[in-house]
Amino acid sequence: MTTETLEPPSLAEPTNKRGFNVRTLSLVGLLVVIAVTFHFLSGGLFLSARNLYNLVVQTSVVAILACGMTLVIVTRNIDLSVGSVLGCVGMVIALLQIEIFPQDAAWNWPLTVAIGIGLGALIGAWHGVWIAYFGVPSFVVTLGGLLIFRGAAFEVAQGKTLAPFDPVYRLFGGGIDGALGVGPSWALFAIIMVLYGLGEVLVHRRQMRLGFDSTVRTKLLRFLAVFVVAAAFVATMNSYMKPRSDIGRGIPVPALVLLSVVLFMEFVTRFTTFGRYIFAIGGNIEAARLNGIPTRRTVLKVFIAMGVLCAIAAVVTTARLNAGTSSTGELLELSAIAAAVIGGASLSGGRGTIAGAVVGALIIQSLESGMVLIGASSSQRMVAIGLVLMVAVLADKYLSGEE
Amino acid sequence: MKPLIEMRGVSKAFGGVHAVEDVDVDLYPGEVVAVLGHNGAGKSTLMKMLAGAYRRDTGTVLVDGNPAELSSPAEAFDLGIETIHQTLALADNLDASANLFLGREIAWRVGPFKIMDSAQMRDHAAKVINQLNPRFTNLNTPCRDLSGGQRQTIAIARAIHFEARVLIMDEPTAALGPHETAMVGELIRELKAKGIGIFLISHDMHDVFDLADRLVVMKNGQVVGSAKKDDVTQDEVLGMIILGKCPPNAEPGPGARVSQ
Amino acid sequence: MKRRSVMSLLAGLSLSALMTAPALAADITVGMSWANYQEERWKIDESGLRAGLEEAGAELVTADAQSSNERQASDIDGLLARGVDVLLIVAWDSEAIIPSVERALAEGVPVIAYERQIEYPGVYYVAFDPVEVGRIQARELVRAQPKGDYVIIKGSPTDQYAHYVLTGQKEIIDPLIANGDITIVGEQWTDGWVPDNAQKNMENILTAVNDKVDAVLASNDGTAGGVVAALTSVGLEGIPVSGQDGDIAALNRIALGTQTVTAWKDARELGRLGAKVALELAKGTAPEDIEGSVVWDKGPKGTAQNASVLAPVTITHENLDVVVDADWISKEDLCAGVTENAPAACN
Ligand SMILES: Nc1ncnc2c1ncn2[C@@H]1O[C@H](COP(=O)(O)OP(=O)(O)OP(=O)(O)O)[C@@H](O)[C@H]1O
Ligand SMILES: [Mg+2]
Repeated sequence: MTTETLEPPSLAEPTNKRGFNVRTLSLVGLLVVIAVTFHFLSGGLFLSARNLYNLVVQTSVVAILACGMTLVIVTRNIDLSVGSVLGCVGMVIALLQIEIFPQDAAWNWPLTVAIGIGLGALIGAWHGVWIAYFGVPSFVVTLGGLLIFRGAAFEVAQGKTLAPFDPVYRLFGGGIDGALGVGPSWALFAIIMVLYGLGEVLVHRRQMRLGFDSTVRTKLLRFLAVFVVAAAFVATMNSYMKPRSDIGRGIPVPALVLLSVVLFMEFVTRFTTFGRYIFAIGGNIEAARLNGIPTRRTVLKVFIAMGVLCAIAAVVTTARLNAGTSSTGELLELSAIAAAVIGGASLSGGRGTIAGAVVGALIIQSLESGMVLIGASSSQRMVAIGLVLMVAVLADKYLSGEE
Repeated sequence: MKPLIEMRGVSKAFGGVHAVEDVDVDLYPGEVVAVLGHNGAGKSTLMKMLAGAYRRDTGTVLVDGNPAELSSPAEAFDLGIETIHQTLALADNLDASANLFLGREIAWRVGPFKIMDSAQMRDHAAKVINQLNPRFTNLNTPCRDLSGGQRQTIAIARAIHFEARVLIMDEPTAALGPHETAMVGELIRELKAKGIGIFLISHDMHDVFDLADRLVVMKNGQVVGSAKKDDVTQDEVLGMIILGKCPPNAEPGPGARVSQ
Repeated sequence: MKRRSVMSLLAGLSLSALMTAPALAADITVGMSWANYQEERWKIDESGLRAGLEEAGAELVTADAQSSNERQASDIDGLLARGVDVLLIVAWDSEAIIPSVERALAEGVPVIAYERQIEYPGVYYVAFDPVEVGRIQARELVRAQPKGDYVIIKGSPTDQYAHYVLTGQKEIIDPLIANGDITIVGEQWTDGWVPDNAQKNMENILTAVNDKVDAVLASNDGTAGGVVAALTSVGLEGIPVSGQDGDIAALNRIALGTQTVTAWKDARELGRLGAKVALELAKGTAPEDIEGSVVWDKGPKGTAQNASVLAPVTITHENLDVVVDADWISKEDLCAGVTENAPAACN
């Protein structure tokens, strides 16, 4: 009767009889098709350890933004300012770290990161107040934000490029030393798998106690799938060597940052009341209000979260470039929105997943990178990404119609 | 006996429209008060003020004799006032149990977050819904894919699950079949027996006379009159609704047409 | 070509001989309409412009359009109403500005498009030579790496300036490509000149060619920053990389040895050139007779205009003292982190 699955009902995602999310799986399928196609077109380059390592690092920034964008879109809003906010926060971090605070102080970079995240939260709150409390449409507010914070990014240092950053800070960018190394990568893998397994067992036991016919097979299958994919990922990252050496790099720090963001956001959207309120507001804001959900405060918090994610993405971007520039993050809002939408977020609200957004970001970056590998121009890349965006949304529409 | 609810001089205007004007209504424990009136008479607006969804412009509301602000739905819930809204107030993208517990999830507080106990909520939801409609089994389906009757079942289940002392039912049977309607009638009698006070809004005169103890008729935002069910006939009530004419056995309100 | 310039020089001489230039210059009012004076760089231009005009005793009046077409149009009306003798314009939008330009020309006020080209007949154009920027970049790269595999990281595909730079680069390297010394193993445009985009493109090109790159023609210092970051992550930092603008960060990279050259545009010099041309035009000198005037027709529409173009300065490891002496950068900023192989400017 009740086929109980781990998928919490709030996401209202179609799942197949094994309990896998059909939408996310079909996206992964699309990603595999893209990867294999480019692998052949590029003469075996695309699926090399090196390219996959780069791909993960290059995807991290858009994926971090897309996670927040998904929440924003689920509440039936939009945030056009993320690229500018990223640029502005990045410039502030650069200015403080390079020009204002003593360069050799150990507290310098942690403090600037903390200030940057605080600033991101503040900017998010600024947008959120306009949207949730003053009732100005998010499109307008964040279009304003796009201009304001790009201008502010320029004003911070009058358009100057600020460099270089603290060597420890640079690790966030996943440069030559910005990876975990072979041993710690496997250790992290082991820890995560053990925690995941334990979590599954606990949930299963609870479901048994409450009398749901919980299927062990599904859980075991899923655990195995995650185990194999994660192991393959770690092995691949470990097999990309540092230059002129046989020292494996391991999991890049930006991927670690992304992983933390994704796990946290998955937790929030699936298991907390805050996450449920986000979906309820997107589904029917009037119903949410009538049921006593603090709709304004929830929307405000979503924009604060978006601001914080912009700041985290700013840290990764500036650390990666090892410079703060006033144009950093330009046009990133479009990639972030595209990733969220390819990942299944519906602009009419109430629908979207974090995992989908990450896969969406991977799809976009795979197209970008893959087309460079085969020597295509940036204009051809734009055409390809635009087409995939439309096809993905169309396919998604049919998939959800079937369910 | 002390009234559960006393509304005194309650008014609400939307821009220039006086949706509710100077309304006095009482509700006693174990009493079913039917609120009647044609479309746009102000019934839902009056009830939404009691549910904390709208703030009243003027007037006082006493709950158990104590003045209540009723500035938010949460405050109404805390006072034991539950509402089945005319619009049902369901999030279409969420399933039955998510909607049933919407805004009042079973959760553990962990730091700044409240972690939901989805399994337990599902368990409770299954029980309450099963009690109302044993054939309603697709509990994992998002509401948008449910029938009108099933959706209404969720809204009713929500109101009874939280053990209301005052229950507002704004056209609760509009989408239900005859069998389910009968079930709801049965439910109302059950709740009444437990001492719960119920405001029932319905256009079905038969239901009203079947279930209500007292009737309050509204027209253009004002009370035409109120009467014990046994003191008036259906025709007289229709006269109140349509013409605003208050019969001799009823107590006239400010909206009663001055008799010639 | 040579004959013509001699002729125009003679004509110029004869004109200035007829007029008593200094006496006249004292009465000249020069108008300048900035597109967005908030940008740091225009303050530097203005100091040069002001210096050049003050020496001749002419007056400068300015207006700032603050990034608005409408505002710039009304600014220009205002300047014309004040009776300026010559008008310099940094166009916010080089198309939208044309009605204002027509108005000025109709009133007999000469118009100078300053730094940003306004393709309209009769408008004089004063700018750094963007094509020369590309030549400088390619010349220095070829000097450092005469043969081998080159990557070109171009500017924004929608910016005409990026195309000028590319033209200059190609002028130098095309013959070397033809004779087989140089091979282009990868080239990409950089959307919006954004360094992060340049970094991603460079990383992917490095993957595509398995790190077999000998030099990178990056079109400005921002993209060069992205390129160097990409090279560093695979341990290739130190191969020749070009740039332009004389960014603080780029000059520091040159001192450190991770960038080879930047084409530096000293805005004060351009300001002085603008002052000189403005005074000449105000005095009634025919545009083609202005000293150093050339015909510029490399714009998208191919309109032929009289122009004075200034060659940027080539800055490499050898002559970093030039930027220090010009107070463009402090020695401290230039030499931050420099240990081995320090340039002369750091000693
Ligand atoms: N949110 C609102 N904004 C503006 N006007 C409103 C709003 N809600 C109700 N009204 C107006 O107030 C009046 C009373 O509406 P209400 O919904 O209370 O009527 P009702 O008696 O419940 O009618 P029905 O039987 O059709 O449900 C109507 O004229 C309606 O147009
Ligand atoms: Mg109603």
